[in-house]
Amino acid sequence: MIVSDKDRRVIENKYHLTDKEHDPFNRFKYHGYGYDESTGLDDDEIKAGLAALSDSLKGEPHPIIKAKLFEYVLKNTRIDINEHDYFVGIYTWDRVLEPHTVNKWIYEAADKVALVLGDRKRDDLSATGYVWTSLDYHHNVPDWDSIAKLGLVGMLDRLDIAYRGFLEMGELTESREIFYRAARTELCAVISLVERMYEYSLSKSFGKQPIISESLKNLVSGAPQTTLDMLQLMYVYFMTSESTDLFQVRTLGYGLDGTLYPFFKNDIESGRFTKDEIASFIGYFMLQFSAIGNYWGQPLYLGGTNPDGTTRVNELSRLILDVYDELGIYNPKIQIKYSKSTPRDFLDRALKMIIGGTTSIVFCNEETIIKAMMRGGATYEEACMAVVKGCYEYAVRGDSVAISCNVFNALKPVELVFNNGTDPMTEIAVGLETGEVTEFKEFKDFWHAYLAQLDYAVSETLRSITEFEKYAYEVNPSLMLSLTLPACANTLTDAYDCGVRNVSDMWFTGLGTATDAVMAVYELVYETRVTTLDELKKALKCNWIGYEDLRARALSCKHKYGNGDRIADLYAGEIHRFFASRFNGAKNGHGGNIEYELHSARSFIDMGRQTGATPDGRLAGEEFSKNASPTMGMDKKGITALIRSATSLDLSIADSGTCLDCMLHPSSVQGEEGREILYGVLSTYMSLGGASIHFNIFNADTLRDAQRHPEKYQSLQVRVCGWNVLWNNMSRDEQDAYIKRAEAIAE
Amino acid sequence: MKYTNNAPIIDIKRFAVHDGGGIRTTVFLKGCPLNCVWCHNPEGISRRPQIAYYQTKCIGCGECVSICDEGAHTVADGRHIFNRGSCIGCGRCADVCLGGAITFYGREMTVDELLPLLLEDRDFYENSGGGVTLSGGECLIYPDFCAELLERLKAEGIHTAIDTCGCVSRDNINKVIPYTDIFLYDVKAIDEDVHKKCTGVSNSIILENLRYLDSILKPVEIRMPYVPGYNSNQIGKIGDFLSTLSNVQKIRVLAYHNYAGSKYAALGMNNTLPERLPDDSELQQARETIAECVNATVI
Repeated sequence: MIVSDKDRRVIENKYHLTDKEHDPFNRFKYHGYGYDESTGLDDDEIKAGLAALSDSLKGEPHPIIKAKLFEYVLKNTRIDINEHDYFVGIYTWDRVLEPHTVNKWIYEAADKVALVLGDRKRDDLSATGYVWTSLDYHHNVPDWDSIAKLGLVGMLDRLDIAYRGFLEMGELTESREIFYRAARTELCAVISLVERMYEYSLSKSFGKQPIISESLKNLVSGAPQTTLDMLQLMYVYFMTSESTDLFQVRTLGYGLDGTLYPFFKNDIESGRFTKDEIASFIGYFMLQFSAIGNYWGQPLYLGGTNPDGTTRVNELSRLILDVYDELGIYNPKIQIKYSKSTPRDFLDRALKMIIGGTTSIVFCNEETIIKAMMRGGATYEEACMAVVKGCYEYAVRGDSVAISCNVFNALKPVELVFNNGTDPMTEIAVGLETGEVTEFKEFKDFWHAYLAQLDYAVSETLRSITEFEKYAYEVNPSLMLSLTLPACANTLTDAYDCGVRNVSDMWFTGLGTATDAVMAVYELVYETRVTTLDELKKALKCNWIGYEDLRARALSCKHKYGNGDRIADLYAGEIHRFFASRFNGAKNGHGGNIEYELHSARSFIDMGRQTGATPDGRLAGEEFSKNASPTMGMDKKGITALIRSATSLDLSIADSGTCLDCMLHPSSVQGEEGREILYGVLSTYMSLGGASIHFNIFNADTLRDAQRHPEKYQSLQVRVCGWNVLWNNMSRDEQDAYIKRAEAIAE
Repeated sequence: MKYTNNAPIIDIKRFAVHDGGGIRTTVFLKGCPLNCVWCHNPEGISRRPQIAYYQTKCIGCGECVSICDEGAHTVADGRHIFNRGSCIGCGRCADVCLGGAITFYGREMTVDELLPLLLEDRDFYENSGGGVTLSGGECLIYPDFCAELLERLKAEGIHTAIDTCGCVSRDNINKVIPYTDIFLYDVKAIDEDVHKKCTGVSNSIILENLRYLDSILKPVEIRMPYVPGYNSNQIGKIGDFLSTLSNVQKIRVLAYHNYAGSKYAALGMNNTLPERLPDDSELQQARETIAECVNATVI
């Protein structure tokens, strides 16, 4: 057994008590099992100490304030070394620095931005659910190569060497001095924390203790030596960066397999650890993230192809999948880089897990990543070695930072066209006055008005975000991140102070539904002429009440994205290209790329709530399509048409990626034959220029949902042993029988 | 060369994954010489066009009433009544139905119309070892149509399969043989009286045709629906018969299910579906019995 039941229970209770309610959106709010009180202060004491320290630091540069507060937390937090865990425990992880740093400084920055711009357009865009702009400390990856090769101590040496160099050359500017002092303070605080843990571990005596003590000792002495050292370091780095330094760590290793492999190989060759022992360490490691349970999930990626065409999938990649499968967890989530060089047995292993019910594996198409990144200026080598920095997004390894994340609502322009630029829900004139919609004579009038609204939102967003991004370094100095990045460490420059490329991300939410909305106007008003813009406007204003037949027509329009319908797909492609063209090749205020991402995280729900009824038949407040997917339930022609639609878009112009979500019934992918089918779907999507893809194999729960909400599952086909029936055409009893069968399949 | 052959189509099923290997598109043609009591595609029995009306999906929009010249659809007291007797099977009501409550089976399509639709998923066929399958009903009651369609598909390099009950003339089979990569061939019973009771027809042509395909070394996959109380006593005999063949690639024992009940009701047909479903152990037993007789994969 990789992790004993008892140990598993302890780890699962390390971050929150499993018998108490846990809200994954209220991250970091909980503590699990009891910590030894003699090892430090509790949260309230730490918060009080921070408040006092923060007062005394007034007037100091922000990086210094942040670093001193960070140091205070790490010095005073309670710690734990547990007989049921290989990984240390850090008590304080409630993002306690927020009120004294980011949360305070961001409002100061927003006021300054408003003063410079002379308006608060950004607030209007946000209040209407049109565009949400924020500085982005969430889609970043440290330089795992520096962490693995130098360790904490080596990275400290690197900072000191750079400092002495600038001192000797007489080039030690004030900003370098500040960065150096701040970054050094944080790094020393982490080293002291590990030292404290090491000392504490020596006071313990249990089976795992000598191994834990050795790993901690190695980390304060130099670079990590063993696989466990590296995992321990990744964990400590993750916890201190993400919960105290307020910088999310969005992937574990440059491929967990890639970063760990030299350690793994060395451990096996030297006889330090066996493969089984290493499997166990990886199991305990992954369980930490499963137990933390952040709602966004903790991504890690595997595999990839070297610039010379050889695969990076190795023995460890396979071991990691085995461990993940045995644990049966869904977090961390695994992204597998896919190319023609990916070994088939490795893909088959992953496909088998997906068929078995794992829903946390995503495949990312390296060919599309390479195209997108090279278009953005990356070299071929950089593109091949790209890091996955979020759910699907990618970036240059060890040489970039995300500076802002801007989420666009693709349906709001439709609403604004119908209301001449004023948002009906808030009555804020947030858009462009494109004219009275009822006077539009031809479809192209409507179409151009849609694009004009979108264009205006893009311009306004760029105007405010360019100004806003100037304050990123002031709002949240990226110390824990920057001290790992060679370009920052060697120049003593924070990543947000242009130490590395600064990337602005533009997310587009609801492309599929926006296409359907525009196409409904095309079809109902101008093609079949069953309604007028006047009537449609009234229907939307009433949220379709009293216009149920018209709504039924809107829902059953033939031009819907996701069905391989040429006209709908062409318009989807045009909206996609129009949005991309506003950013592809553009630079932000920091000289970095502005990247388009066809991605929606949870915004497809939240922005949906802030958007009224739309011509595609959607009711006010309903969700949008997500990522590159069609509106839920509107893809009625099956998975092959869905993939043809999605890949008819040039997905590589979404610089920073996108994902297609696919649902399949277990009966389609059963057994050996089924795995070939799933491989056929995967390889076809990839060969047609797909980006990322995620499979959801229908289970009994989903079928029960389909029974309650038939409108969302219109394309669900149930096919057993060669006979096919449409789910919605089955009677309740037949569906019940089928669900029973699905339950049997799941077992 | 311009092809003009028509055939009535029930459905074009994409992502068909149990019809001859890989990801396929299956075309179901309308009309069947058999009348199996357990038939799961009852819309495939008659050659004539048919309307299926699913009352639970009707939203009462009345579109069908306006478009039907024959008065087959009426709405009274908010209730939609479909008078099947007046229906001439033109299918226009299915085109306008807003609730998706009406399905039209039997639209005439030409080879020219079908071919581009079947080529749309070519990438999926190529990446999965799939292709196109003609099924039904019984597709081979339209031999010229099938032969022409298959010939054009072969010219495009597409793998082709015919799903047949085998109850057609030798001539019909010979027309498609040059363009068919594999036959999916139903064997329902060996005893003639059992076959007649289950399907309404004799099995002599069926078994002869199967021997013939085997003799000319055509790859065949056997499909055997397992229906307790109807053909469940035929397993041993089917196994013995199959053991005399040399070119069977695979045998599928298909578990009978009764999910098609709603379809019978929607078509206004008498539901003949047997009640008893097979349990896993008897299916397993049937597969094992057949596997003992033949040198082919049994699933």
